[in-house]
Amino acid sequence: MNNVIEVKNLVKEYKELKAIDNLSFEVHEGEILGLLGPNGSGKSTTINCVLSLLKTSKGSIKIFGEEMKPDSYEIKRKIGVIFQDVAVFDELTVYQNIDYFCGLYIQDKVTRKKYVQDAIELVGLQDFVKFYPKKLSGGLLRRLNIACGIAHKPKLIFLDEPTVAVDPQSRNNILDGIKKLRNDGATIVYTTHYMEEVEILCDRVIILDKGKILAQGTTEEVKELAKIDEKVTVEVNNLDSSYIEKIKQNSNVDEVTYTDGVLLVKYKEGKNNLVDMVEFLKKENIKYNKINSEKPTLNDVFLELTGKELRD
Amino acid sequence: MFLHNFKYSLKTLFKNKMLIFWTFAFPIILGTFFNMAFADVINKEKLSIIDIAIIDNEDYQNNKIFKTAFESLSDENSEDQMFNTKLLDEEKAKEMLNKEEIVGYLKMQGNDPKLVFQKNGVNQTIFKYVVEEIVQRSSIVENISKDEIKKQIEQGNFAVDAESIVKRVINETSNTEIEFENTANKNLNYMMIEFYTLIAMTCLYGGILGMVAINQTLPNMSNKGKRVAVAPTKKGTIILSSLLAGYVAQLLGLVILFAYTIFALKVDYGEHTGLVILLAMIGSLTGLSMGVAVGTLSKKSEGAKSGILIAITMTGCFFAGMMGVTLKYVIDKGMPIINKINPANMITDGFYSLYYYNTLDRFWFNVASLGVLCVVLITISFLSLRRQKYDSI
Repeated sequence: MNNVIEVKNLVKEYKELKAIDNLSFEVHEGEILGLLGPNGSGKSTTINCVLSLLKTSKGSIKIFGEEMKPDSYEIKRKIGVIFQDVAVFDELTVYQNIDYFCGLYIQDKVTRKKYVQDAIELVGLQDFVKFYPKKLSGGLLRRLNIACGIAHKPKLIFLDEPTVAVDPQSRNNILDGIKKLRNDGATIVYTTHYMEEVEILCDRVIILDKGKILAQGTTEEVKELAKIDEKVTVEVNNLDSSYIEKIKQNSNVDEVTYTDGVLLVKYKEGKNNLVDMVEFLKKENIKYNKINSEKPTLNDVFLELTGKELRD
Repeated sequence: MFLHNFKYSLKTLFKNKMLIFWTFAFPIILGTFFNMAFADVINKEKLSIIDIAIIDNEDYQNNKIFKTAFESLSDENSEDQMFNTKLLDEEKAKEMLNKEEIVGYLKMQGNDPKLVFQKNGVNQTIFKYVVEEIVQRSSIVENISKDEIKKQIEQGNFAVDAESIVKRVINETSNTEIEFENTANKNLNYMMIEFYTLIAMTCLYGGILGMVAINQTLPNMSNKGKRVAVAPTKKGTIILSSLLAGYVAQLLGLVILFAYTIFALKVDYGEHTGLVILLAMIGSLTGLSMGVAVGTLSKKSEGAKSGILIAITMTGCFFAGMMGVTLKYVIDKGMPIINKINPANMITDGFYSLYYYNTLDRFWFNVASLGVLCVVLITISFLSLRRQKYDSI
């Protein structure tokens, strides 16, 4: 498998602060790699270093097998970047914005026109081409931001939290577009703190915190790092603490909490736990509203690894 | 790439309401205001002969150059009489000055002229500039006259008429007499200085265009700059094409301002059209360079940088005489260094010298000063723009 990006021992320091601490990873051709981490974990700094926008303190960065430098124009030609903050011209229409940024990569007008149209269709902005950005909703603006970054059909795409503060319709549209880009052959580095997006999209994930890699692998591999195997949640009113003690006596139970009418039981192994719980409730004659079981999420893994929620 | 970025830079500039206001609308609004505010003052000032006094002492009588020049400029039979000159003793001159019967008086102390005014104003300024002009030319006239007298003596003519020689040399060398006569013919008014500062202001507001162009190309200044920085384009190409677009927009703003003031407000900018355009162009370039420097060196937001540039421009124009010509002369007299490095004053003074003087020395000095300022600002900016990676963005 070819590596599109190879980062070795990357360090980025701001005076006393180590924003990136000896980071090494690869991105394989054709995959979507998710960079997961809370705000300030070093996701955007990593991307800015890889793109040669930021000075690095140590380490090496190769893209398409060559060292990445500010004047690596041939490498840059194959890269598309969608930054976290929307970066478009308020004075230009949707079409003009995409055409302008595409024009920084594609000189030929005929090719560019086709590429711009393709990008507009990909993000679903056909009905808004003559609109100015200020007339667009937050979701449509995000879609425009993406179109500006990928119109030149790059082979490697960096998407830095592209779905922050967008409506569900736009989010679905954006996620569908990203899948299509991957299906068309692009390699994608996707940073987010929405774990559900990572689970839907990414082939592999890297979990970052304080500039360090805490875990990496496929989503399944990373989830296996969790101590728990299943979570059972029961909505039940006025549960006596004696019942909680009884549940804890089960050797397969790792942790039990009861907060705001929700009983959460975490199991070390995942066999018949839901059935056992239903039977227990029936036997003790406890009335409940809803019961469900789920496998651990990446957020659970993150919580275990760092002691904090992914969205903190 | 150059043309692509140039085209879109122009589009963004012409659709940016803030830039349109400061570059195009604000100077026109201000020009209209000046026209309304100063219309009465102009009429009163038209073709007035200035009452002055000269202390009738030995030093004055012995200074052929001053004597000849002021006699010529005070000739009642001339249509171009500039001064109504009284030769008085100092006590009487002071008394007349206190009663405001004269705008000021000249006292020669040796070869050094001393001017005494009670207040500042256009008439006092004209008197002062005439004296300065005579001083500047005295040494030339003196040298040539000495040579001429020496030559005549060597040829055996011992009855040399020094006064007539000096008079002739003045006419032959610098055409001073004619120059002053022409000046007297002109429509001396406060408003011209206001319009010069207005043009200076328009030129310097180009700084906002330069700053915006820079901001949009640097990754540590804007998100759009980040996008440009990751594209396979040379930073220099993007910056140059953006600045050229800014310059074109600014020149268009000046064309509109000139057209409006000439055709709608009937402002007369004099005869040196080509030089007026040249000065406006280099003034604009200075404004643009100032914007590039502020855009490059300051890490503040775009709004804050615009504020800095507007403040610099307005202060510069204020010192150059925009809100009253008096301040310009107070600063020229008390703190000359301020106006020596004030680009608004360099532009204003350049126009002023075109309008009031036939010689172009002072004009070219101002053009050269603006050129030097441009070079300094661009060099500083260039050194900062050379870096390709940033510590933080």
